[in-house]
Amino acid sequence: MTFRLILSTIPAAVAAAALAVMPAPASAQSSKGQQYKAPRTPDGQADLQGIWEVRNSPDKDLEKAKGLIVEPKNGKIPYLPAALARKTSNEKNSAAEDPLNKCYMPGVPRINLLSHPFQIFQTPTQISIAYEYIHNFRNVYLKRDKHLDGIDFWQGDSLGHWEGDTLVVDVANFNDQTWFDKAGAYHSDQLKVVERYTRTGPDTLQYEATITDPKVFSAPWKISITLDRDTKPNARILEYECQYLADEAAKKKGN
Amino acid sequence: MRKGFLGMTAGTLAVGTILFLKPAPAAGQDTPPGPPREGGGRGGRGAGFGRGRSPLPPAGPFKRTADGKPDLSGYWNAANNGGAVFEVQKHPVARPGYPPGPGAIVDPPDGLIPYTPEYAKRAKANFDEHLADEPELHCYESGLPNQMYRQFGFQILQPAGYLVMNWEFMHAVRIIPTDNRPHGLPASTRLFEGDSVGRWEGDTLVVDTTNLNDRTWLDSAGNVHSDQMHVVERFTPVDERTINYEASMDDPKAYTRPWTVKFPLSRNMQPNYEIMEFACIEGNQDVHHYIEETGGKAKAVIP
Amino acid sequence: MRAKFAIPAVGVTLLLAAEPVVAHHSFAAEYDSTKPITIKGSFVKMDWVNPHSWIRFNVTGDDGKVTLWSAEALPPNGLYRQGWRKDSLKEGEEITVTGFRAKDGTATMWSSSVVRADGKKMFSGRADGEEGPPR
Repeated sequence: MTFRLILSTIPAAVAAAALAVMPAPASAQSSKGQQYKAPRTPDGQADLQGIWEVRNSPDKDLEKAKGLIVEPKNGKIPYLPAALARKTSNEKNSAAEDPLNKCYMPGVPRINLLSHPFQIFQTPTQISIAYEYIHNFRNVYLKRDKHLDGIDFWQGDSLGHWEGDTLVVDVANFNDQTWFDKAGAYHSDQLKVVERYTRTGPDTLQYEATITDPKVFSAPWKISITLDRDTKPNARILEYECQYLADEAAKKKGN
Repeated sequence: MRKGFLGMTAGTLAVGTILFLKPAPAAGQDTPPGPPREGGGRGGRGAGFGRGRSPLPPAGPFKRTADGKPDLSGYWNAANNGGAVFEVQKHPVARPGYPPGPGAIVDPPDGLIPYTPEYAKRAKANFDEHLADEPELHCYESGLPNQMYRQFGFQILQPAGYLVMNWEFMHAVRIIPTDNRPHGLPASTRLFEGDSVGRWEGDTLVVDTTNLNDRTWLDSAGNVHSDQMHVVERFTPVDERTINYEASMDDPKAYTRPWTVKFPLSRNMQPNYEIMEFACIEGNQDVHHYIEETGGKAKAVIP
Repeated sequence: MRAKFAIPAVGVTLLLAAEPVVAHHSFAAEYDSTKPITIKGSFVKMDWVNPHSWIRFNVTGDDGKVTLWSAEALPPNGLYRQGWRKDSLKEGEEITVTGFRAKDGTATMWSSSVVRADGKKMFSGRADGEEGPPR
């Protein structure tokens, strides 16, 4: 978070009088029993576009983020017994071994849970998510129905389809290199993630992710969290250039 | 015997199976068969090359979006950049690793960057002594105009109100609102890709970029700019396969006058092409080797 | 191994005549394009990394000594677009690697192509060190 301040001196969000980027939907605001109806993109998709960010740094420790893990009900990641030792050792050595501390790609869903916003763009064939965190981007393919074969990625290969107004993203082809949080929650290359993005109001997006990995977990587990929109006029994501910051810090130390 | 086996000792040769081959012209015959098919197959999506098939039919007119503006979306590359990716200005002297080239500068007419004396010195020092500091070696984004002629091509997405450009190389991103909004960042905020705002002038998208940092180069040869640089780009579609790209740089600290590059952006015609993830820092062992081997700085490339 | 980033056109068809001659920065400094070489060995593993992938294979000399060779190849996305997959080569498989020897005399080479045990030839880097579709 402090690094962000180096790069930006933008004051705190302007008052609530700030206009939302998107026009308000024609239908009623969400109220008990009535579902919010998102506006549409020109080609009829529910419009999820905008700049979104989580609060309260859930990526510190998923199990300690209140209400984040909704399945299983006890809020604990269901590690296989053999996998627990590794998680414990990861957590102990987090400072040295967290891939994020080496400026590596965060993986999914961690990249959506960082204290850095991302911006969703929608076209008829792809949904592209641009992240402030080291200018990562994820392309979600709406017109490809099979994952690529024989190659893996840090952030996986994302295929998207709509279930009503919910964008469902099927992510596979992960390598085994990322962690889910700073506390050493990890996965194998058998990881699969199914994400669900649902706009629940003009400035809120509900993000859910179901994580499956038979090599590490005894059962799938699920997180759910609300993302808030940046409603400042002319809002934009900035840059968090982890490697550059590390290089500059090393220079100061006289390396 | 030594000569015939290229100076290698017998001990390093596989038993009885060394062949002396010319550079393999036949390599191309054996690339994955056929163009990529729907639903995968040997080439899969985004894979394979349609190689050397019949020439393309003449290009038709460019499409338009629902609001009547030119549709620039798709996959593009800047193949014809005059060698700008090596050196953006005219470089008539062949160097090991890259041939001479005209560069991409159309103004001034001599094709050279109109440096102030101080920045001319910095550029020379980079080339002579600091090639290991090339920002791309450290996985930084390339800034402007360098990003536009970086390798492996890029995609343009054009949702309402924006032009979004994603590069495979370094997964660089440029987000350009096209609603003629003003710049809004404080002068103290400096970004690798700057702050870009766009507006349409007829069928030309004009993009104005400020708030650049001074951490990027103009090319791989060490040409530089200061953090005062201001860039105005013009994207003008010609037909469905070509966009004319022009960028003017003005930077009173580094240059005695503005200068302009110009080159075409060509549409990637490969069916089912996709930009793929490019993990840079994660695999970037070479920076360390490069720096170790050159004692922390790189000499000019020598034959 | 000094290797700057390779230059354009991996994975981009560029059938157009306008494709530029672009050369890998360090190819000429590190590899001798006048000295092609082909070596047979036993596949160990591949590092699918940017800026260049590496094919590691054991080569047994006449004296029985085994040397681990490293052959530089296209970056991962380039390999993928040429039809390479993570399981294209099996550990222990006999492969034949064609390319150019490193100038420094180590067990290192640039690889233009690899022939698998089943005879399939796979392009892994342009014969002249440039990147892009084979000529």
